Amino acid sequence: MKSSRLPVIVFALVVVFLYVPILFLVVNSFNEARFSSTWAGFTLKWYAALFDPQNRDIWEATQRSLLIAISSSAVSMVLGTLSACALHWYRTRLQRLNYGLIYLPIVIPDLLMGISLLLFFVALGVTLGTVTILIAHITFCSSFVTVVVLGRLQGFDESVIAAARDLGATRWVAIRRVILPLLAPGIVAGGLLAFTLSVDDYVITFFVTGPGSTTLPLKIYSMVKHSRELPLINAISTIFLVITFLIVWWSQKLNQDQTTKSN
Amino acid sequence: MKYLSLLFLSVFLLTSCGEKKPELHLYTWDDYLNPDLITAFEEKHGCRLIIDIFDSNEAMLAKLKAGATGYDVLVPSSYMVKILAQEKMIIELDHSKLPNLSHVDDKYLANLALDKTMKHSVPYMLAPTGIAWVGDRVENVEPTWAMFDRADLRGRMTLLNDSRETIGAALKFLGHSLNTTDEAQITEAKNIVIGWKRNIAKFESDQYDGGLASVEFFLCHAYAGDAFQAQEDNEAIEFLVPQEGTSIACDDLVISATAPNPELAYAFINFMTEPANAAVNMEYIYYLAPNKTAYYLVSPEFKEIDALFLDDATLAKCEMIDDLGPANALYNKAWDEIRATQ
Amino acid sequence: MIKRKNEAILTGPTLLWLILFFVVPSLAMVVISFRPASTYGGVGTGWTLDAWRALGNPNYPIILWRTVWLSLVTTVICLALALPIAFVLGRMQGKWRAILLMIVIVPFWTNFVIRVAAWRILLHPEGMLRQGLVSLGLIGPDTLLLYNEGAVLMVMVYTYLPFAILPLYAAAERFDYSLLEAARDLGASGLTAVMRVFIPGISRGLLTAMALVLIPALGSYVIPDLVGGPGDEMIGNKIAQRTLGDRNLPQAATLSVALLLITLIPLIVVFYLNRRDRTHPA
Repeated sequence: MKSSRLPVIVFALVVVFLYVPILFLVVNSFNEARFSSTWAGFTLKWYAALFDPQNRDIWEATQRSLLIAISSSAVSMVLGTLSACALHWYRTRLQRLNYGLIYLPIVIPDLLMGISLLLFFVALGVTLGTVTILIAHITFCSSFVTVVVLGRLQGFDESVIAAARDLGATRWVAIRRVILPLLAPGIVAGGLLAFTLSVDDYVITFFVTGPGSTTLPLKIYSMVKHSRELPLINAISTIFLVITFLIVWWSQKLNQDQTTKSN
Repeated sequence: MKYLSLLFLSVFLLTSCGEKKPELHLYTWDDYLNPDLITAFEEKHGCRLIIDIFDSNEAMLAKLKAGATGYDVLVPSSYMVKILAQEKMIIELDHSKLPNLSHVDDKYLANLALDKTMKHSVPYMLAPTGIAWVGDRVENVEPTWAMFDRADLRGRMTLLNDSRETIGAALKFLGHSLNTTDEAQITEAKNIVIGWKRNIAKFESDQYDGGLASVEFFLCHAYAGDAFQAQEDNEAIEFLVPQEGTSIACDDLVISATAPNPELAYAFINFMTEPANAAVNMEYIYYLAPNKTAYYLVSPEFKEIDALFLDDATLAKCEMIDDLGPANALYNKAWDEIRATQ
Repeated sequence: MIKRKNEAILTGPTLLWLILFFVVPSLAMVVISFRPASTYGGVGTGWTLDAWRALGNPNYPIILWRTVWLSLVTTVICLALALPIAFVLGRMQGKWRAILLMIVIVPFWTNFVIRVAAWRILLHPEGMLRQGLVSLGLIGPDTLLLYNEGAVLMVMVYTYLPFAILPLYAAAERFDYSLLEAARDLGASGLTAVMRVFIPGISRGLLTAMALVLIPALGSYVIPDLVGGPGDEMIGNKIAQRTLGDRNLPQAATLSVALLLITLIPLIVVFYLNRRDRTHPA
């Protein structure tokens, strides 16, 4: 198109804007200076410090975050798929209520969800800890999975199910061998989204956490606010960025392999 | 499917990497315990010491009231100990399990302490609040709270994000008690703080020490220990106690009523009041442990820190923040107005 | 094909979960707003309107206004920045589109708190950015980049940008770019074509993006807490302060209800605009 270069220029500028803090983090993870505002020489000591036994609580927090994320996305995938199917195949008043209710956790500010859950747990006298965090995460993750699977369902070809039935499949077989496999990419995408949201959640987790059940975002916030070992955060972020890149690159490769295989 | 099982396997491996040792949950302030002591305690008792951090007594109380019941030892300030005792959230201490209590400074107990018989608490660390500044960036430093009126330092100062400490500083500046319940005095102090607020970058109780060391800030309302710890990162940092007097914070060790492991909690308190440990801790975090035997074990350089070993004249003008019951609401109201006024 | 009972099986689990862990806590919040606060942070017995009367606090309107204003400005800026990105990405194909999309999204896989903390260090008074700007004469030597409204705004835009980019991109992907060609053939200038063909064509994406930025922005409190000054508090900060600082849970609850009502306004607007869209397709 002979249109102006404007959108492309803005695109480039925005990308620069997005990457400035990221690059800053990565570069400073090698910075000798404790206070990253000045450069004092190249070092790997912050990476080494991450493996120092004094900092083992960072790894514990990471472990806990991963555990919670995996569990909550697993449960959310089930809950989300079920409700997405319900929303897609039925058009009753119940579904209208369901629709509204499911969208609420997505749009309500985190802070409100966190506070209301905290007040709820307080009123019930429930001990705050990993379980309460898990409950909170499942609550908002399910809604996101529902929306993603629903999107996948909207492109669904119903005639496939009819065809399977015509060929003699029972309902359960139809579900297991036709519907679920076709929905699978949507479910997995929803699960990944839930995983990402859970791992990164700070606000809601902050309100419902209990003694000794620190997650990674909480630990990081506490390090940002209190610790004199700020560059450790740069080191952690860089490591996670690299891991994320590797995972994305690996899954892209797998995708490509699959498409070349089927061609 | 294969990736899923791989994922689960790796998670399983990750989680099975920790053995199950007895745990002690400590809820305390940041940078408040020498890491060597953590290791020593863990080795001595074959346990794990898990530390959670709060940044104000109120936040700690809020967390506890909201159902956080898994803490063994808490380190609240003395006035908060009173509240916790009233609310039956901490136990009365069995002194027979704490032989090291004989080392606690009796002068401190008699004069300053709120819990004079150590019924619920054992004193942990003392320090005055004061002013910390970066020596080569601030000229003409006077030992007075009026430093916060200095317009040339605008935007590079901080005040503590604590209603009692900050309003208290203003009260001291005006010559009143920082435990006053006189509404007129509190209002006077509130207006002073509102004036100071125009010169500060933010209210900050945690990161000002890093801010001083990196010269993000030039002058801060600071706890003595934080100031000296920052000094290790930036030699230009200095600390003083204003001549109008200040608040002396004392934080105490208490055992939660819902402690999962009270025996280990007692062991910890006894461990911290062991003079050798108290001395090592003091020198690392730059606060004063009111442990008379430990005074003889610290280095001469440490003894020379005036701000910690205050002379009697200054001490006479210092007070410990006390709980005021319903009158707390007056301070909360004033603090709200301070935060809201532009 | 599938009967009523199956509808219940499909709907039941999630609905029950949400009712138990979402609706009930929200109701609990409203209930607590009518209770008195006990002196040391608990919730008392009996009923009172004290916490609601406290909403009349003369300091709240400013905070409310600041919250709404900052969130609206953030939304506008995010949309303005996200539109060109969505436009460019939408008309690309294949491998390059996927790569560029990745490039845009990856920064947001860093932890949110870390990103905000990184901005704090970047904007440090002694840092290279500010010193550079001062030496270039772009800002005065006394101007600070941190602890003011500008810093809060910039970090908010940074944080919420992906929430604008993704829905706009999803809509742009389905947009038929040949319509723009047609418009230009009919004599429309580039800008007119964009304004009168592209933007209406992705209007649903636009609405979604607006909602996904505005609503969380209204509830921000970490960002003003970390990079804002003492005068930059938003409602979220006040709620957090009431919960954790003053331990006045009923007042925290009333403020939360107030925030909820404010958030519902854009929600309802978006909902109605969406429904109108469905009956009057572009």
